[in-house]
This record gives sequence, structure tokens and C-alpha cells, in this order.
Amino acid sequence: MNHSEHSHGTACACEHHAAQKSPAALLHHALEHATHYLPAQGPIGVFVHHNTLHAFQHMPFEQAVVKAAEIFDAEPYLSEQTYQEHRQHGRILDQDIDAVLAREPDAVLLGGRLTRRELRRVLLIPGVRRVNHGNLTWQIEEGNFLREFRHDLPPTAARALASDQPDRLWPVCTSRYKVAPVAAPQQPSRPAETVQESHGIALDEVVNPVLVRLVSSYLDQGLAYWPMPDREIGFLGASRALFTSTWLSDWPVLLRGIRGEFERLADQSAQDIVLDLLAGFGVPEQDWEALIRQELLSLPGWAGMIHCLEVDPLLAPHERPSFSLMEFLAVRLILTSVVLKNVTGSITEWRSHPVGAMAYHDPLTHQARLFDACQLLGYHSELLAGLSETEFDELCHELELCNEWERRRLLHLAYELRHERRILIPLSRHCAMPAVVEKSDRLEAQVVFCIDEREESIRRALEEVEPLIETYGAAGFFGCAVDYTGLDDPHGVSLCPVVVKPAHQVAEIAVEEDHSLGHVRQKARRTWAKLTRTASIGSRTLVRGTVSTACLGFLSLFPMAFRILAPLRFARIMEKLNAFFLPEPRTELQFMRNDDESRHATTGLLSGFSIAEMADRVANMLHPMGMTKGHARLVVVLGHGSSSLNNPFVSAYCCGACGGRSGAPNARLFALMANKSEVRTLLRERGIMLPEDTWFIGGYHDTCSDDVELFDTDLMPSSHATDLVKLRGKLDEARARAAHERTRRFESFNNHRSVSAALRHVKERSVHLGEPRPEYGHCTNAVAVVGRRSTTQGLFLDRRAFLVSYDVKNDPEDRYLAAVLGAVIPVCGGINLEYYFSTVDNERYGCGTKLPHNISGLLGVMNGYQGDLRTGLPLQTVEIHEPVRILFVVETTPERVLAVIHANPLLKEFLENRWIRLAAIDPDHGGIQVYRGNGVWEELSGDEEPLPIAKSSIDYYRGKSEHLPLARISPQLLTSA
Amino acid sequence: MNATALFFVILGLPLATFLLLGISWMLGFSAGEKCIGRTIKTIYSLMFLAFLALSWMLYQDADHSIEIHLGQWFVLDHYEYPMAFQWDAVTMPFAGLTIILSGIVGSFSITYLHRDPGFLRFFLLLVLFSFGALLVFTASSLDLLIAGWELVGITSVMLISFFQYRPEPVRNALRVFATYRVADLFILVSVFLAHQWFGAADWARFREIALDAGVAGVSPAMMTIFPILIVFAASGKSAQGPFCGWLARAMEGPTPSSAIFYGAISVHAGPYLLLRAEPLIRQSPLATGLLCFIGLTTAVLNTMMQRSSSDAKTSLAYASQTQLGIIFVEISLGWHTLALIHVMGHAIVRAMQFLRSPSMLSDYHRLHSGAGGELRATGAHYDRIVPDRWQRILYCFTLFRGFHDALWDRLLIRPMFLIVRLVEKIELSPSKNKTPRRAGTSSPELPVRAKRETI
Repeated sequence: MNHSEHSHGTACACEHHAAQKSPAALLHHALEHATHYLPAQGPIGVFVHHNTLHAFQHMPFEQAVVKAAEIFDAEPYLSEQTYQEHRQHGRILDQDIDAVLAREPDAVLLGGRLTRRELRRVLLIPGVRRVNHGNLTWQIEEGNFLREFRHDLPPTAARALASDQPDRLWPVCTSRYKVAPVAAPQQPSRPAETVQESHGIALDEVVNPVLVRLVSSYLDQGLAYWPMPDREIGFLGASRALFTSTWLSDWPVLLRGIRGEFERLADQSAQDIVLDLLAGFGVPEQDWEALIRQELLSLPGWAGMIHCLEVDPLLAPHERPSFSLMEFLAVRLILTSVVLKNVTGSITEWRSHPVGAMAYHDPLTHQARLFDACQLLGYHSELLAGLSETEFDELCHELELCNEWERRRLLHLAYELRHERRILIPLSRHCAMPAVVEKSDRLEAQVVFCIDEREESIRRALEEVEPLIETYGAAGFFGCAVDYTGLDDPHGVSLCPVVVKPAHQVAEIAVEEDHSLGHVRQKARRTWAKLTRTASIGSRTLVRGTVSTACLGFLSLFPMAFRILAPLRFARIMEKLNAFFLPEPRTELQFMRNDDESRHATTGLLSGFSIAEMADRVANMLHPMGMTKGHARLVVVLGHGSSSLNNPFVSAYCCGACGGRSGAPNARLFALMANKSEVRTLLRERGIMLPEDTWFIGGYHDTCSDDVELFDTDLMPSSHATDLVKLRGKLDEARARAAHERTRRFESFNNHRSVSAALRHVKERSVHLGEPRPEYGHCTNAVAVVGRRSTTQGLFLDRRAFLVSYDVKNDPEDRYLAAVLGAVIPVCGGINLEYYFSTVDNERYGCGTKLPHNISGLLGVMNGYQGDLRTGLPLQTVEIHEPVRILFVVETTPERVLAVIHANPLLKEFLENRWIRLAAIDPDHGGIQVYRGNGVWEELSGDEEPLPIAKSSIDYYRGKSEHLPLARISPQLLTSA
Repeated sequence: MNATALFFVILGLPLATFLLLGISWMLGFSAGEKCIGRTIKTIYSLMFLAFLALSWMLYQDADHSIEIHLGQWFVLDHYEYPMAFQWDAVTMPFAGLTIILSGIVGSFSITYLHRDPGFLRFFLLLVLFSFGALLVFTASSLDLLIAGWELVGITSVMLISFFQYRPEPVRNALRVFATYRVADLFILVSVFLAHQWFGAADWARFREIALDAGVAGVSPAMMTIFPILIVFAASGKSAQGPFCGWLARAMEGPTPSSAIFYGAISVHAGPYLLLRAEPLIRQSPLATGLLCFIGLTTAVLNTMMQRSSSDAKTSLAYASQTQLGIIFVEISLGWHTLALIHVMGHAIVRAMQFLRSPSMLSDYHRLHSGAGGELRATGAHYDRIVPDRWQRILYCFTLFRGFHDALWDRLLIRPMFLIVRLVEKIELSPSKNKTPRRAGTSSPELPVRAKRETI
């Protein structure tokens, strides 16, 4: 499903045709609409970050989060209490709140005695107390609610109230407040809503377990030993075959008659069954969509999984029976109707019980809020009693407008505003200062990393270790979208962003001399696989299990104890054993175009690249980064990935630009291409002057263990050997420093320990069986800087910024800017928004704590033994995240960046609906303009945020674990001063 | 060091840790993670050393049994509650397993539960569980064993509902709790009967009676009823026979608690009890037959359920039950050494598999690529040997876990509800105007969410 289709789903233009459509078409339409609300996460083996509220992206952010919160019963922002705590700790300043309020429309209230802004300001500073129906009675009877006024009142208010008493004010509030009429009861949208009230039985608790068992067995990718029978005839058919096979299926009390119902509907298609049951429920056509949506949202994880697999069956890693959401819905409705009949005796009766809004009707809270507001405003009881009817109503109305969600919205905007100023003001100060590193004749090396914000620390560390090394950031597939088959892989996988379909095939093979070794390895792997599989299945079955657990079980105590008590040592020994039993041959990539093979390929993929295609790819990467001349003798291209144990979410930590996999092969391929002399000849024609003595090396950076590996160094001319040794040493120093910086976030490591201890610690995390946070992933992402490294070089960005190398001087027509933004805004924006939503509501949008997770069907995780699939990010991944929308800082002029973004509908939607924030930094004088929407730019002014200067990164961060403000890392300046 | 002191180390350390942490928590001091982590590592290391020393003493001991009497807790008329422990060839492996596996799982959990708000609660329950389990394994009579038995049960339930803010864990924990209560009735009654009929409930007495039933006027009926009660009590703890439904429900807690309780120690308390009562069970063909029957049917049914389970932890839970069934059979056949070895091996393997269950995804993919992308399909022999129609019946049966919950629902829960309703009606009938109405239909308050278990 492409973006525009999806995002406009809820604002579908076909609404007005509805009247003329057939019931079947209407049903499909309703189902299609309902699917927009399902999570879009596929099987967890490939975790792709995307905007959790993708379906709402056509709406402005602030409206979308509220709408979604209503539909999903979720939180739109952090809690009010959290924001107030941030305010107390100086993370939100009063001036931010004032600035936010100043942007909101104002109004004159109470005949000029009050303005909306003044009212809202006191509701935010010092803020209202947390009262609700539940705790208010206690507050009144046991607490000081009616005994004294608040202690944190503004002085003027306190003076005004000096002669008044709370128990005089309170009666005025309660007696004058007009209780809003109870909302009229509504027609229920689905049976579960009323049966709970009328019969005390939660339908979902009966239907869901049965459905979860069926669907998890049906979708299972090979976890169960005995696959579900009849999978080839589809979910409906397989379920029907099971339920009708034996009278036992009628045995559960509330499922009585399920067999008959399946038999009655035996020869109908899923669609007919759904139509039949919708008619049976007595639901009119216009309410179908609501019913279907609510039914599907009762198990959003499983419904969403089926939907994802239906859209792209290739997402399923091993088993691909037919996936159909309609069949899922049909089975769900059959189960619902049977249970409903057993509970209420009829399947239409539920509609005659309207659902009251009783639970939400809570006048006492409003009265208490008014009481609070009067204190904050200094309105004593006589003043309040003296207000005219209309004035009093106006005050109440205004208070209700500034309800909890509204206050949280305002506080969130202030929270983001302070973040923006903490980034932009120091950045502009930094740009105004002279460059940290002076230009030299020739660089010692150039290292290209992924744009990933986790690479920011190692880039800075490398530049600190050796100022003559320059680093770059490019999307981690390095322009090489390939279908790659590694030496050990049974088939190819796509190494490129998920929206791209690779057209070229590349394979890793053992080099000529090591062919026999390669065979030995594969043979050993086959034997190992056979043994392990027999053992793991065997340990669970009846007979084999008896033999293996009784005879050999005891022996597994020693590796188990060793592994858990000394994970790092165990990993080292395992590595040695692996090297002995599974010898690794030297390998090469098969990447040259083979026309013969391409013609005969059944996959439709071209095998390898032609010289011109290679030159395209190399040029398309070097051009935007401005790497057209002045290359160093060594250029290293580092892909990244992440290794960890016992972690179903490992793919979420890998390279997003490589589809949730490791980008090592792409880096290796890129270097091989760039080293080809034919390619270089073509590059010269395009204005990229690669010197004869420049050599490219591909490599891999593990963001969890901070290991760095370089490939194909044996192909390098011997003249570069010393350069490489030097560079290797510096990379090692840099990765150790990066690891040390990373450990400041980990509570279990004392950051005052040495750099090498930190490196050991992160390595241990990556091999520890019981480590729920091998790394923090993208947890700190907040900013993306698109521009030259010189803008940010020497700036401590705290691993919070995606750094995209883009040289505006090289791009007069904004061609590269369009390409770069077209890729990075959806990718970085998607990552950022996924983290945002998983943080503000970890139970609804995220997948809760990792600790009880249970892998189901190799597709995802669920809680317990028959729950819903959980989508989104786990608590352990987002616990230190600051949920702010990502701030893009683009180094170009406001007009140019806006033109580029507006030319692309997707980017325009991202920007104009405020799902991202944007600022432009002038490439010539460093002035910063902030985008405020609707074409309005605002010049950055003010200087309340300082730019601390430190001698080295470690001096700045050591021993601190919180988010740190930007700092300038400048060894020379301090020593000379 | 003498044996008593070593016993104090083994039993006293977890209890003291529990009390210390618990009381300081109640007083408002909460120990930091580092402090708790160090304490856990220290006490399990000390307990391990004490275990080694005791085992060495046992090896040296002429009777191969170390007994410790600390007198009576209380004496009531003819009844006395003995505080007596023993360490012999059956105790040693069970206690050793408890200490070693709790230590390893404890060490795993220090990292795994890092920063979880329930960190302290988890370790409180873990040490209390260790104390309970060690009490079960070292007690020399049923009276004392029950105390440990109940502690194991209650800590197990509280760890299932560890994530108490979500309804499912709490609901499942309640179900497990109810199952435990029913099963515990059997052991409770058996203690009363043992005192009534045999005069005492310690292992030595069981052996005496088994040797010569006539000695104390023990009738054949007594010799049948008592072992049967014990068999049911053990079945409850080990999720066998009529109680085989709860183990999968117990998978709501954090992974390490699943490992220590349902992979390793708690479920093996059943076989331990059987091994202790084995001399008596052997005397009754009916009890022996029942034990064998329960074990065998559970093993056969559960291996099929295991094969159709499509999630990691349920699959392991049913695999555990299968092996426990086999262990029951082994005990019924009198192969108690084999049973003992089987318990050890099984507990260790299963604990490790539970701890590694989040890896199942990557393990499978590695296997898949290791085998060159072609894994031999499993379960194909069902296609060959079972006719199509029976395949479906069997699959339906296993997928819905033998309709076990429905059975309980029909046989126990619904009749109970009916009785309760009837009583309610009788009680309220005199005042006609106060007929019990379901909440929500007439009350202006929030509707009472009366939830009921079904399926």
C-alpha cells in the first residue's frame, strides 16, 4: 500500500457514492476503511519504523493525536503531571508557555476583566491540581481541599483571597455551576458494548482467546511442531473444518451451537457470511464500518498482522497460506454471534440497549476545577457570586475549553519550544565562532557513516582523535539497493529502504582458493542445524524428550551456569569454538553484471551491476555530500547493524535504511564499486575527481558492541598499508570512546570507569542473555541536521541528531536536496514518530514491558499465552526518550527548502501538518530561521541558552546521565587561551 | 561447622533476606538495586557452599541421612507439630537444584529486571520461594512440608500476577490460585488422616507402615485412600491429570519466574512428594494404577497439545507437563532413581529453554539458514498415519487444550455459581422489594463490572 492511498484513507472521496453501491461493495469499502486504524507492523523479524498514526497523517498533528486518542482510547501527549515536573526542573520555562500562548488566538472575557491568555496562563503556571471524581470526595473529607486555599497562588491572587474562606467559595462554585445535561444514550456500535452491562459478561474475553488460538496457529511460521490442518483452503475453511469435525467444539458453555453455525454457513464465502451476520445483527449499512472497526480493534495486533500479510504476503518469512482479513472478520463474527446467542438468547437484542455516557458524566470535577481556577485568579466568593449569569457561564465554558487535553497540548508545545531553542541557539553560536579544525592540505582519511543519530558520537570521537579525519553521513544503504545473498544465507534479502524494491542481485561467495573450506563450512553448518533441530524438538516431545532430558539434561547445567554467570567469557569461548568447527573462508562479492544469468533469472532481478550503473550509484552518493574533490588516500564506508541475544526486537536496532538489517554488505559493495578504475573514469566525466591513490574500504560498525570491522583489506594496494594501520588504530580509539559515551546512559555502569572498561561493558551487553536493553536504539533521536559537517563539527550533539551530509554549494538546482529530503524526512520522521507514540502511551501505541513477552508464531510478541500481538516499541527501548517531534535543520535558504518540500506531496504533508519541525540555517552567515507553518518563517532571536565549551567530549559528559545541552568541543581554544 | 548450622544457612538465609528486605520496605526504606543484587548473589553463593558441605557430610554419614530435630513448634493434646528436618539422598538433589537454579535465575534476573518498578518485589518473592521450596525438600514430615508447599504456591501466584496493572495476569493468577486451593485440599486432608490413622506424618513413619501395615491397625482402605490423596495433591502442583490446565496460564509473569517455577522447581515438587510417599503408594495397587494412569494420559495428551502450540512459552509449558507425566509414570513403576535423574535433567533443560525463549525467533532463522533454507517439515507423519477426519478432530481437541477449561466450567464452576445464586435467593427472599438485580441496569452509579471466566 503506498503512502498517499493510506494516508487519505480516512478522508476518502468515495463516501458520496455509497448510496449506489451493492452491499458487497459497501462491505469491502467499510472493511477497507477499518483497516486504516490497524497497526501497520509486519512480522517482527523485520522491524520497520513508521509513524504509528500514519492513517491520521492527512490531519494536523495536534488534531490527529486527539482524534486517535479517542478512537484508540490512548494518550495524546505525556501526562500533565510530567510536563509540570519538567516545568519545575526548568525543562519548560515560563517564557515558553507565554510564547506558546501568544501564538494562540486570544479573547476578552468577563467584560474585559480577564483575557483567555491570562486565564490559561494561571491554569498552566502554577497549574491546576489533579482532582477527579474518584479522589475528590476524599480530598474534601480528609484533605485540606476545603480547609485552606492553595499555597502556591500568585501573590495578587493570594492577597485578593486574604479575607475569603474556601468553604465560602466552594458553595458558590457548586451552586452556580450549571450541570450539563447527561449526553443522550447512544446506539451501541457492537454487541460487546452492551452485553457487558446487561449481562455482566465481557464478550471479548470469550471470543478473543478462541480466535487468538485459531489465528496464531493459522499464521504460525514454523514454531508449532504440528501445523494446522487445511491451511491451504484459507482461514475460514480451516476454522470451519476444525469446528465441524467433532461435537466437542460445542462443549464450552458459551460456544454451544458453534458447530451448527459453521455448518449452516458452510457453503458461503467469507464475504457472504459477514453480510449474512451483519444483517442478522440488524445493523444498518451506515453503521457497518463502525462495527467492523470496533470488532477488529478488539484484537488490533492480529487483525493488523493479517492485513499486512494480505497486502504483501512476501513479508511472511516462511509459510504463506492465503491471508484474508475478510475471512478473519467472518470467523470473528461467527464466534461473536454464537456467544451472543448463548448469552442473550438473540443476536439482535443487544441493539435495543443504548450505551449511556454515565461513566464520563462527572460535574463534580468541573466544579472543583472552577474552584481551583477562582483561587488562581484571585476571585473571592463575593466576586464570583456577583458575576452575571452570562459572565459566569462564559467563565465555565472557557474553563471547559481549556480542559486537560488542551492544557497538555499547550504544555507540550512549550516543551518542544524549549527543546528547539536549546538546539538552535547554541547551534547559531557555534556557527558564529571560527571552525574548530583548521583546513589542511590533505585529509588523512574520510569516513562515511550512516545518518543514524547513534553514529554521531563515534564520528565526533574519531574527529577528536584525529582532526585530519573528516566524517560524512549518508543513508546507510549507500545508494546500493540490492537483493543480497550472504555466504550463509539460503536466499536473498532486500538491503534497502522498505519503499524501494531492489533490481540487482549480489551474492557473497568463497574465493577461488578457499572453495573447499567453504564446502567444509556449509557441511558443518548442515550437520549443526540437523543436530540442533533434533535436540530442540526432541527435548519437548514424549519419547525423545524422555531420553534427552533424563540422560543428557544434567550436562546442560554447566554451559547454562557459565553463560549466565560469565557472559563475556562464554561468548569468547564460543567464538573460538565456532572458528574451529565452522571455519570461515575468505569471500568476495559477485557484483559484476552477468547478462547471461540476468536473462535467465526467474526472480526478475538483474545479476550485478554494469559499469555505468556502478558509476551512477557512486556519483549519486558522492555528489550530494560534496565529496567531489580533495579526497583522502583512504575513504572508509561504514555500514551499521546491531547484535544482541534473546531479543526479538533486534531488527529495530539495525539499519532502517537497509530495511531493518545490517548495512555491512552495502558498504562493502560501495567500496568495491568505487575502486573500479572504469567507474572512476566515468566519474571523472561527471566532475568527481578521484585521485589515483584514493582507496575505498567498506566496513561495519556494530552499534551495540561498538565493534568495527573492515572488509577486503587484502585487495588494497600495499602502498596504503601504513595508512590503514594508522587509521585502524584511530578507529579503535574512537569506538572505545563512543562506547564510553554511550555507557553514561546505562545505570548499571559507572561512567567514571575507564574507556576500555566501557568497551568491555557494551560488548557484554551484546552477548548477555538476560539483557533487555542491549542498547538504547534510537531512543535519543530529536534532531536531524542536513548540511555540511563544518556546520556541526566540534559540536557535542549528544547522539541526538541524525547528521545528513549535504553540500548546498554543490547543488545550485536543489536537485540533490530534493533527493536527500525525499529520503530522510519519511525515514527519520517515521523513526521519531514511532518513538513519540510508543513513549506517550506505551501500553496502547507501544508494546509494554519486554519482560513477559512471549514469541508467537515467529511473527511477533504477545503477553501471556493467548493475548493480542503487541506492536510498537517496548518500554525498555523508550524509557529515556524525550517525546518531541523531530527538528530538521537544513543548511540552505528558507525559500529553497520550502520549494523543495512543497514540490513533494508526502513531504508537504509531513511539514504542513506539523508532524515534523523545520528550521533553515543560512549557508553563508549562519542565521537561523524557524518555520511556523503556512509559509511563515521566524528569525531566531534571543540568547538565553549558553554554549558551554569543553576540552573534550569526555570532560563534558563524564558522570552525567541526563540529556545534555549542546556544547562546543574545542581542544585548541582552551589550550591557547 | 555442624549440620544444624549448615541447615540454618540454607533455610535461614533466604528467610532472613525476605524478612529484612520486606520489613525495611514496609518501614519505607527501599534497598537499591545494587544492594539487592549483591545480597542475592551472596546468599546463593553461601547457600551453595553450605549445600556442598552438607552433601559431603551426607557422603561421610553412615546412615546416609542427616536428621535435625528442633523440638516441637506446639503441642495440642495428642498432636505435636514437629520442627524436624532431614537431609538424605532424595533431599540433596532437590535442594541442590533449588539453590543452584534459583541462584542462576536470580543472577539472570538482576540484569533482566533492572529498572523495573517491581524489582524489589520480584526478589522478595524469589527468596521467599527459595525458602518455601527448601522447606518442602528438607522437611521430614508432611506437617512441615505443607508450610513450604503453601509458600511455593502463593509466591507462584503472585509472580503470575506480577504485572498487576493489566487484567489478564491477575485473572489468570486467580485461576491458578483456585486450582492450587483445590489441589491443596487433598494434601491438607491427607495430613489430618495421616495423624488420625498412622499417628504421625513423617517419612520414617510412612516407611514403617509400608513395611508392616498391620502394625498400627492400619486398614487396607486407609492404605488406599491416603496415597490417592497424595497423588492428587502432587498432580495439582505438577499440573497433571485433572489439574493440567493451569500451567499455560502461568506464562503471564516475567520470563525468569516462568523458568524457575514452571520449568524448574515448583512443578517438580509434585514428584518429590510422590517420592516421599512412594513406599505407601506402592502398597496400594489402586493408587499406583491411578498414578500411572494420570501420568500416562497427561503425557500423551500434553505432547499433542505441545505439538500444536504456536507460541514459545505455551509450547514449553506443555513440554514440561509431558515430561512430568513420564516422571509420574516412572515413580509409579518404582523406578525412583531414574525418576530422580529425570527430574534433575528436565529441570535444568527446561529452565534454560524458558530463559532463552525470547531467542526462539533468531534461533529458528539461524537453523533455517544453517539447513540451507530447507527445514524438514515437522508433523508430516500425522498426515501419513492419521486419517484426515481424525486429524481434524485431534487438532481441534489439542488446539482447545482438550476442552479442559470447559470441563471445569461445567463440572465445578457453574454448579458452584448456581448454588451461590440459590443461596442468595433464599437469603433475600423474605424482603420482596430487595430482589437482587444485576448492577448497571438500575443503579445510577458506575456499572459494576462483574466478570466471569468462561471457555
